[in-house]
Amino acid sequence: MQPTESTPTLKKNKEKSNYYGLLFASPWILGLMLFYAFPLLSSVYFSFTSYSILQPGNFVGLQNYKDLMNDDLFWKSIYNTVYFAVFFVPLSIIFGIALAMVLNIKVKGMAVYRTVFFLPTLVPHIALAVLWMWLLNPGFGLVNGMLHSIGIEGPAWLGSETWSKPSLVFMSLWGIGQAIVIYLAGLADIPQDYYDASDVDGANWFQKIRTITLPLLTPVIFFNLVMGVIGAFQQFTLPYALTKGQGSPANSMTFYVMYLYDNGFKFFKMGYASAMAWILFVIIMVLTAIIFWSSKRWVHYQGK
Amino acid sequence: MNAKKMSVTLLAVILSVAIVFAGCSNSQQSGGSTDASGKTTITFWHAMTDVTAEAVEAVIADFEAKHPDINIEPTYIANQGEGQNEKLLAAIAGGNPPDVAYFDRFEVGAWAAQGSLEELTEFAAADGINQDMYYPFAWNESSYQGKLYAVPTTTDSRLVYYNIDHFTEAGLDPNNPPSTIAELEAAAEQLTKKDGKRFERIGFIPWYGQGWLYGWGWAFGGDFYDPETNQATANDPKNVEALQWIADFAQKYNVEDIAAFTDSQGTGAMDPFLSGQLSMKVSGPWEVSAIEKFMPDLNYGVFPMPTPTGTDHTTWSGGWSVVIPKGAKNKEAAWEFLKYFGSANGQKIFSDISKDFSVIDSVNEELGFKEDPILKQFVDILPVSNNRPVMTQGSLYWNELAGAVENATRGNGTPQEILDQVTQKVNNELAKE
Repeated sequence: MQPTESTPTLKKNKEKSNYYGLLFASPWILGLMLFYAFPLLSSVYFSFTSYSILQPGNFVGLQNYKDLMNDDLFWKSIYNTVYFAVFFVPLSIIFGIALAMVLNIKVKGMAVYRTVFFLPTLVPHIALAVLWMWLLNPGFGLVNGMLHSIGIEGPAWLGSETWSKPSLVFMSLWGIGQAIVIYLAGLADIPQDYYDASDVDGANWFQKIRTITLPLLTPVIFFNLVMGVIGAFQQFTLPYALTKGQGSPANSMTFYVMYLYDNGFKFFKMGYASAMAWILFVIIMVLTAIIFWSSKRWVHYQGK
Repeated sequence: MNAKKMSVTLLAVILSVAIVFAGCSNSQQSGGSTDASGKTTITFWHAMTDVTAEAVEAVIADFEAKHPDINIEPTYIANQGEGQNEKLLAAIAGGNPPDVAYFDRFEVGAWAAQGSLEELTEFAAADGINQDMYYPFAWNESSYQGKLYAVPTTTDSRLVYYNIDHFTEAGLDPNNPPSTIAELEAAAEQLTKKDGKRFERIGFIPWYGQGWLYGWGWAFGGDFYDPETNQATANDPKNVEALQWIADFAQKYNVEDIAAFTDSQGTGAMDPFLSGQLSMKVSGPWEVSAIEKFMPDLNYGVFPMPTPTGTDHTTWSGGWSVVIPKGAKNKEAAWEFLKYFGSANGQKIFSDISKDFSVIDSVNEELGFKEDPILKQFVDILPVSNNRPVMTQGSLYWNELAGAVENATRGNGTPQEILDQVTQKVNNELAKE
């Protein structure tokens, strides 16, 4: 076959396969447009209306956003959410890395230990909430029971305004198996050569962690940081189940998305809820952008 | 694979997707159809389980026997009530609602204002259903701006349960339970046993169980809503007084210690009143069957929620109803079922099994609720009972008032400030309509 003849055929074939590719992807593209892009963009419009799901409502301009600025509970929910994120995200990174390092030690039966730490991740959030309600029960819970045996009178945990959010942080830390698996993969990716070389140089374990492990783990930390922040700001299932949707005590457990949900589905204020959703989007977007921007300074990729 | 084969495969994929979608909409529309034999099927969504589910099945069976041309298809839909009706909300918004839904009466006003319930005024007028049949509060809650949107079915009321053995032990006269707020406070103090931060037994917790601010506000002589001006009146001086009393109570016994106590309690057999850790508790008539089931030997009585003066005792009642959601396909057949469920006949069958009070006084009498020494008191107070305001922001108001009690007991602001804020927030929303 002459090359002069085959070129147009090849081109034609390529066009054809593009066409087929699109055709085959079309159910998915259509679904994405219909059930994802369309509602997403509609919610921008709804955030400027008094839409109530049952009624289209009126165009109210920026009124929803203005009202939000004067809504005490809105600010309280932001405070609660930020509080949770500020404590949970760094703690999850510290505990995640520490546990991953321990689980990376080569000892017999490691598969069992790894499974043990991953198991809580498989527990559904509702079950986790019920379980921890028992553990943290002020009267006969295991946690206060143990504190009592060492002479400490435990707080009311979920019943206390001061302790309800820290309790939630503890609970969430229990389910960081997913992050640990990612850290483990990151650890496995670090070549043994570096450690061998540092042994020759006479480095101790702390120096190895500080100068080899942590820097080379930064891409994974970066990933978990971004996902952790996004997850923390969308906290919903656990506090909703723990407080039966009330955010009690005294709204100390009313998280941003919980309040959004109440407005949209309980109080017929879908327009208001849409405005909240977009504010949340902007907050997460800005935070993610900051993390990405800062990543140039502290994330080290291998092979660069 | 050649091009033709691929096109055929693709066509098959698209077709099957189309069929799946068509199937979805079809199955949702299956309710409310008339089949070849002329039998109408109406769909009915409810959230009843256990004995109430048995009760409603009996009602449906009897209805179908009397209306051979109508077939009822009941579906259990979880989480209906106290503003958690998102499935019904989505169904109405999507234009595919059930023909009938079992509905928390206190939501009728808000949903009617949203245009999501079919108006029943004309049906009712044609069939002679009127307010004289029902307790006034039940009819009030079923109507919005003078129009009927629901047929009431069940109700309840709230009284204070007290443990007679505890009273005797503490040297209180069980035949003369507290009638004024001051007496209640004194009794609570005498009954409470506290060891450090732990309560061995607690006399009374105003906000526990059914101790909502609505009840205490009305007991103190306050009111929550002015229908004339469509304004919330949460900061009515009497309501402020009630909340102040609750806040003082919380401070006296240390609210975090009480929270540690209440958070340790369960429901059913673990309820603190049943297990003897709580001497007095505001609750509804359903507590009677729980006690019968888990603690039949409990020696207890009930008394009306005390008032500052010891007179004008009152309470409040909630309850359920049946509605026709907007866009229902078979309104006539649905109305037949509503009418039957709300009739003395339907009520008798339902309340006899479920032990819920009927909204018809004569049915409660006939079923012997007025002979039972405990239940009698719940029924007797119904004629003077209040209902939660019929308004468009009922759910928001409920949440705000619940939050107000939490904030007041935890000292986040004075009762006056807190209730001013609640009033303002709810009125702002009311003004938007």
